[in-house]
Amino acid sequence: MVSSVKKSVGDMQDAKKAYPAFAKINGDHPFKSQVSEGRVEYRARTKKGGRVVFFHFDLAKEMGLLPKDHPNTLNPDLEAQILETFSIQIINEWDIENNIKFPETEIRPNTYMATRYLQLQHPDKSGRTSGDGRTVWNGTIRNQGVTWDLSSCGTGGTKLSPAVNIQKKYFQSGDPSVSYGCGCSETGEGLETLFFSEVFDKNRIKTERLLMTIEYDKGLAINVRAYPNLMRPSHFFGHLKQGNYKTLRQVADYHIERQALNGAWLDVRSKGPSEKYQYMLNQVARTFAETAARLEDEYIFCWLDWDGDNILMDGGIIDYGSIRQFGLFHSEYRYDDVQRFSTTILEQKQKAKYIVQCFAQITDFLIKKKKRPLADFKNHASLKFFEEVFEEAKYKNLLHKVGLREKFSGDLLKSHLNEVRVFRRAFTWFERAKAQRGTYKVADGITRDAIFCMRDILRELPQLYLTRGELLQPEEFIEIIRSSYAKKPDLRLTPMMLKQIQRFQVSYLNLVDLAARAQKKERHQVLLDITMRSSVINKYDRVTGDSITYVVQKVARCRPRLKPEELFQLMGEFAHYQTLDPDGRGQVVDEAVGDGYPARQKNILRGMAGIVRECREGL
Amino acid sequence: MKLVLYSGGDARANREIDNELFRMVGVSNPLMAYIPASSYLSEFEFQHFVDQYKRFRVKRFLHFPVDVPFDKILFKEVLKADIIHLGGGNTFHFLLWLRKTKMLEALKDYVFRGGILTGLSAGAIMMTPDISTAGMPSFDRDENHDNIKNLDAMALLEFDFFPHYRNSPRYDAEFRRFSRKTKRCLYVSPDGAGIIIDGEKRTFVGPTWLFHEGKKIAIN
Repeated sequence: MVSSVKKSVGDMQDAKKAYPAFAKINGDHPFKSQVSEGRVEYRARTKKGGRVVFFHFDLAKEMGLLPKDHPNTLNPDLEAQILETFSIQIINEWDIENNIKFPETEIRPNTYMATRYLQLQHPDKSGRTSGDGRTVWNGTIRNQGVTWDLSSCGTGGTKLSPAVNIQKKYFQSGDPSVSYGCGCSETGEGLETLFFSEVFDKNRIKTERLLMTIEYDKGLAINVRAYPNLMRPSHFFGHLKQGNYKTLRQVADYHIERQALNGAWLDVRSKGPSEKYQYMLNQVARTFAETAARLEDEYIFCWLDWDGDNILMDGGIIDYGSIRQFGLFHSEYRYDDVQRFSTTILEQKQKAKYIVQCFAQITDFLIKKKKRPLADFKNHASLKFFEEVFEEAKYKNLLHKVGLREKFSGDLLKSHLNEVRVFRRAFTWFERAKAQRGTYKVADGITRDAIFCMRDILRELPQLYLTRGELLQPEEFIEIIRSSYAKKPDLRLTPMMLKQIQRFQVSYLNLVDLAARAQKKERHQVLLDITMRSSVINKYDRVTGDSITYVVQKVARCRPRLKPEELFQLMGEFAHYQTLDPDGRGQVVDEAVGDGYPARQKNILRGMAGIVRECREGL
Repeated sequence: MKLVLYSGGDARANREIDNELFRMVGVSNPLMAYIPASSYLSEFEFQHFVDQYKRFRVKRFLHFPVDVPFDKILFKEVLKADIIHLGGGNTFHFLLWLRKTKMLEALKDYVFRGGILTGLSAGAIMMTPDISTAGMPSFDRDENHDNIKNLDAMALLEFDFFPHYRNSPRYDAEFRRFSRKTKRCLYVSPDGAGIIIDGEKRTFVGPTWLFHEGKKIAIN
């Protein structure tokens, strides 16, 4: 039985006094006034029976919701204030059609918006009917120069959900006959987002964050997300498709203003309209090129289809439903979405580029007020720029993986691009090598196994060179780099394999020597530095999509006994363990895992580490 | 046999023991291998380890966690090292994996072949007959999460060792009882202190006490 916090009016006033920042979050949002046709507004009522099962104290402090010195504990006042602010359910079209009456005292004074954006699974396919299907925006909060958006998933079904438009009728929120259209979210979804996004955030991959989860009966939940700007490309694409100049321009102006306000885009305010939109296009091209390269190099599968609803305008990840991180470069994995297969990880780049092409079209439309066909922009300068940035990012990412410091990798790229290119070719050859087994079905799609673990070779190679001062024998090289997916026929030392092993090693050491020369150091000094950095960057156990799924299942089993603050602590420790930042030296623990934590949490954490290890090469 | 037992503490606290260690090393460009008690965040421990011994002009290091699968290439290289250091952490977890991976035997063999084995805290206890002292004192002991029953360690030494010792009656009461029961010598050292074994020679660095048959004797 889910308990709820019941507060008298007097108690609630005390809670409000203690947490005044929450009062600013009441459905008001600048998007409402600045974009006339960008949303549907709903009245909302109090949703009863909720309890806070997770609250991100650090994020709340960063956003200014809590004072910096607030203890990381959920006291009754704070829980009451959270529920008062976020435990809401919209009064939707079904409620109105069926004349459902709610007590006036439970109805919130302001409306909450569901935003319109393009989603290809809608029959309309032009964004007239699609958008937030089970989410409303709670509002904004500004702290330390950053304005944060807050939205809640699971607050009831809106008319922008696919179910409403496919079945051409409205649904009662929570109707079990429809899944996605019922407007509900689940605790498990929140936990999956939480553990994945916190690991990504710690590793400087832009992502939505989970601020809290409020749980109700039957595992249903409201999951509240926060980010400095929750605009997605799809917020633009619907209006572009419809040729709706006025709204498209309002969305663009709104987005530019928010980026300027947050200090993400500098000096954009002083520009004239044409320059401003041009600036936006450049930013989009750069962001999406860098993001596509990063996702590819971190083996992150994010379904970047051209409707652009799985990614934020600044390349941040949103909606973890189909996000995965592979342990190896399983570049032929495709997610089976019933009606179609997803893109592969290598196809993400083309999809990102296509998003940029759409923005070239948008920019032209905004400047000239006339929409030209998308095909007119297939050779647009922004796409050339995209390619340049993508290539540069790929090289930088590779040198980072090797373990070279950023300040030296820049010099290396400037003065010795050819040498880096030779190494990249050899690296890519091994990274993309696939099992002879071929393509086969997995639980949620199809895949063909990668057979080499690049993290293992990058971690061990510098140590072995440091120790021996000579190249490895081919058999030794294969012994280190082979993954559990590799079978005997995959590992035959063919003439090509031998050539690539030699090329990999020689070009690797060549880079080390170039870096040593640039730093006026000896080879062994650079190798030692690389050894230490690479042991963090390429650590043995790194999360994968499968491991997150199992970790969340484990947490879900333990969660009834975990307080929100304990879950917060556990999440923090897990993210810390998965932080692969060689410059952010982690604290040294004097225990197997998580010194200073209660035994129960240590056990959970140990189990989580075991899962990550077990799944480290998978999908 | 060349062994160094560190009680605990950071590089600065252990400077004197480190100096003694490098007096034993007979090669000019030694290779040091670091075996952490657990792979969990051991990359950062390794960084600290390298920082500590770089000062002694060591240029070649290996990082070798045993609680994750490893390949035989690195394994063989570790056993060729001039110094192998066993890190600190949960002694029970460490013993479990040293035994599972057959490293206990390999390390004994390494020592008998003339390699220098050093260990800090859990790593030092590993050289003694068994790891019973990891379960002491009752108010601040390592948790046996893995539920290990066989506590036998390398038995390179005939005495027991207790690291992170605090000179207090609470500790002493337990150690008196323990030494009465085992009839073995139990050496206890606070952080920054330790014991160096070089063949027949036994050197105590920093304050150390001996508990034997219920008696406490100051050694150094």
